[in-house]
Amino acid sequence: MEGAPRTEEPTSCRVVGISHCDSASLLWRVEDLRSVRSQGLVGSLLGSLPRTPRQNSRLGRPLQLLPEEELLLSKCHTAASLPPANQHEGGSGLVQQVALQGEERRRSYEEQSIIALEGRKSAVLRAMASSNTGSGSETCQHKAHWDSLKALDQSFTFPLSALAVQLSTARVGLAHCPESRAFLQAHWSIRVQLSQHSEARYEVFRDLRRRGFYLTSAGKFGGDFLVYPGDPLRFHAHFIAVCLSKDKPVCLLDILSVARLGSNVKKTVLLCSPGGGGVLYTSLQWSGMV
Amino acid sequence: MFFPLPVEGSYTWSGVLGDTKMSALRWTCNLSRMWTEWTPWDRPQLPRGRKWIDKGPRGAGLMSCVTVTNMAEHNMTQSGEKFYNEILSPSELFAAQSRSHKLPVRGQKDFYPNDSEEQRQRLEQSLEEHWSLISEERVERLGNLVKATWIPSEKIVELQTPAGKFWQTMGFSARGKQYLHPEEALHLMECGSVQVFYQDLPLSIQDGYERFLSSSTVSLLQYQVFAHLKRLGYVVHRFDPSSEPSSYARQLNLPQSCNKERRQLKRKRSASPTPSTKSTSQAETQKESTADIMEEEKCSHEEDESKKLPDSDLKTCSETSDTQTGPADSGGGRTWWMADISGDQSEHQPASGSPRWHFSSISFPDLGSSERHPSCLFPPDPSLLPGSLAVGVCDITPWRSRINLRQVKMSAKEQKREMDRGRRRWDINRDKEVRRCRNWAEYHKLQARREGRRKGQPEHLWNREVTPLHDPSQPIPTAELLETISVSKSSNLLEGASRVKASDQWRIRFNVYQPDTVADFKKTNPGRPYCRMCVCSFSDPVPDLRAIKQMAVQSGDIQVICAVVDYGDISFYAFKDFQLPTDVYP
Repeated sequence: MEGAPRTEEPTSCRVVGISHCDSASLLWRVEDLRSVRSQGLVGSLLGSLPRTPRQNSRLGRPLQLLPEEELLLSKCHTAASLPPANQHEGGSGLVQQVALQGEERRRSYEEQSIIALEGRKSAVLRAMASSNTGSGSETCQHKAHWDSLKALDQSFTFPLSALAVQLSTARVGLAHCPESRAFLQAHWSIRVQLSQHSEARYEVFRDLRRRGFYLTSAGKFGGDFLVYPGDPLRFHAHFIAVCLSKDKPVCLLDILSVARLGSNVKKTVLLCSPGGGGVLYTSLQWSGMV
Repeated sequence: MFFPLPVEGSYTWSGVLGDTKMSALRWTCNLSRMWTEWTPWDRPQLPRGRKWIDKGPRGAGLMSCVTVTNMAEHNMTQSGEKFYNEILSPSELFAAQSRSHKLPVRGQKDFYPNDSEEQRQRLEQSLEEHWSLISEERVERLGNLVKATWIPSEKIVELQTPAGKFWQTMGFSARGKQYLHPEEALHLMECGSVQVFYQDLPLSIQDGYERFLSSSTVSLLQYQVFAHLKRLGYVVHRFDPSSEPSSYARQLNLPQSCNKERRQLKRKRSASPTPSTKSTSQAETQKESTADIMEEEKCSHEEDESKKLPDSDLKTCSETSDTQTGPADSGGGRTWWMADISGDQSEHQPASGSPRWHFSSISFPDLGSSERHPSCLFPPDPSLLPGSLAVGVCDITPWRSRINLRQVKMSAKEQKREMDRGRRRWDINRDKEVRRCRNWAEYHKLQARREGRRKGQPEHLWNREVTPLHDPSQPIPTAELLETISVSKSSNLLEGASRVKASDQWRIRFNVYQPDTVADFKKTNPGRPYCRMCVCSFSDPVPDLRAIKQMAVQSGDIQVICAVVDYGDISFYAFKDFQLPTDVYP
């Protein structure tokens, strides 16, 4: 295989909080997402995009990590497994939180109504300014504007139904503070017993990542990973990585089918066999003999 | 008197904004919150879509900052700290309502990174767009939100305020209340239509994922498929095996099976309008007629026949059906639907004609050609008549005056056919060898001998235990021949499927209805699903024949599709029952 585009070791050591949902590892905070991406891990977005929820071309948080990505993070001590949601279960704390939330809502309403009023006022002012420049001596119109401005000040009510409310994506909670993450990190245990194949997958993932490639899952392409030369946002994948054991015989038909598939999607098939301290790469390309 | 619109957000700018991590930006979030957290080492998360102040129109940014600072004065007490809770301040919430709903267009991707400045910039821009999209929070007007509460013991969500438009396709009523399934509630939360509370506190999307999705309700994989289909507009319901009629009940369900048959008829008709030699006009009437009209046609044809029979030449009634091709042919057209006619049409004539009189088997006296005969019929042999019945000589002259005595004019072709017929109807008594036989046994032996000779094949092949699959002297249709000589019989997907036990791993999860039915969709009577979904992941094995059979029999005639989830990616696969076509015309 040719030289890697660029090499980068995950240098940032921010601890990323991973929550688990049904054995999937999910990231919820934008901070965590950014930090993971800066380490060259792509993951896959699962949720609906808040801006336009009813489409599938661009998705939003949460971000699901591949098991290899999670393992890589945890081996670099930059991942902490967050406990499941239970912050609401407390007794007296709960009452306090509810009260706080009510207070919050009330204050938000007050502030938003002030902003809404200002918005109305500035609209009137702008209308005034434009009428001034427009046709000189229309004093009655000017007066009408002043009247409406006054009326706004006196009788403006901001309807409660117009109150903008946030539906938070990530949970709000104390569990995200760095101290607790460090604590959780210490208690990190590898949840999944690695099988031989997943161990091979991890080795390949780590090696390709070390060489600067970006990787995503390649289930649709019949392989283990799709290998991108740069960030998948800007580049097409070049390789389909298939992880194989170094000393096990491979069925020729399997090789043929995967090579044929790779040529159909204009990608090179990469047979990756970890062993001997590194990973052996064999690239397959379909070529017609004339 | 001048108030600029505070659209630029609620951060204050009080120093140099460099690219150092410890920037001087102060994040004026809601500081009175007790569960906010402090992160000293990173830049604050900017609210969605907004640019940094030093990039935006500077004047406006500063002005608006001043406004916000004034408004949120009480928040400034802890201004030395920077908060990155993803909670929006009131002014941000207010501003978020007027944000764009357009997705940025993704440009053409590059092939290979070449470390050029241009590529770097484009990547930066893409990433910036990406993060602004990802970091956007859902902000809805309180009036547009349906309030609901999560009931963990029952794993359902109860609506507190009247449901929105979604109620047409989602949710269910029980005990006089409106409920949502957890997956429906979560999807609606993600769409910003429902706010779910638990213990009087609003649940975040994350809470929704972690609390609603479990093996006892809907797993994450299943939810991914559910949400994927919902986002595309499909109506998706949980599949309930008990509501499905069993295969036996399905068989007994008369209206349904009737419908099915009619559909098949229609399809067949449109696919192959005229497979036999039929006049086009007839074909057309056939085409537009439904099965009911077919029945009528049948009756009218029968009438036709019975009308025609009396004035036909009564020489041999079996021949009328053959020579007068009109009614016979239309009879053939009728049977085209029901069964194939392979042999002589005259053979089928009695079956498709009037059921009471088998004219071909009743021999009428030949009156028309009786020029040379005396003008009376001889009385029948009295020994054949029952008891005291006496039948005298019958004078046929009055009958002859009533019938049409015109000579039948036959074309050359018809004459030839007549000749053939005559030859075929060989009188067995003229056969000398047959006459030599003295009893049935001898005749049978003679027949067997002749048979063997005609076959021209060694008799011994048929004497043994193992005999040839087919006797070549027997004329049978090719399709039947193929079937007799086939080594393994073709099997149907549903064959023996009712005996297959349900497995836990492979179950149909969802009924899916097409988006265009949403307008007149009824939850109580959803009708026929478009397809059914079974959810698995790429790490699972391919469903075995047993699982496929079991799901197919459970689903009936509705296709079962496997939604295979590969992390964020979902692919859909289906197994189809396929019968090898036999391309032979019978």
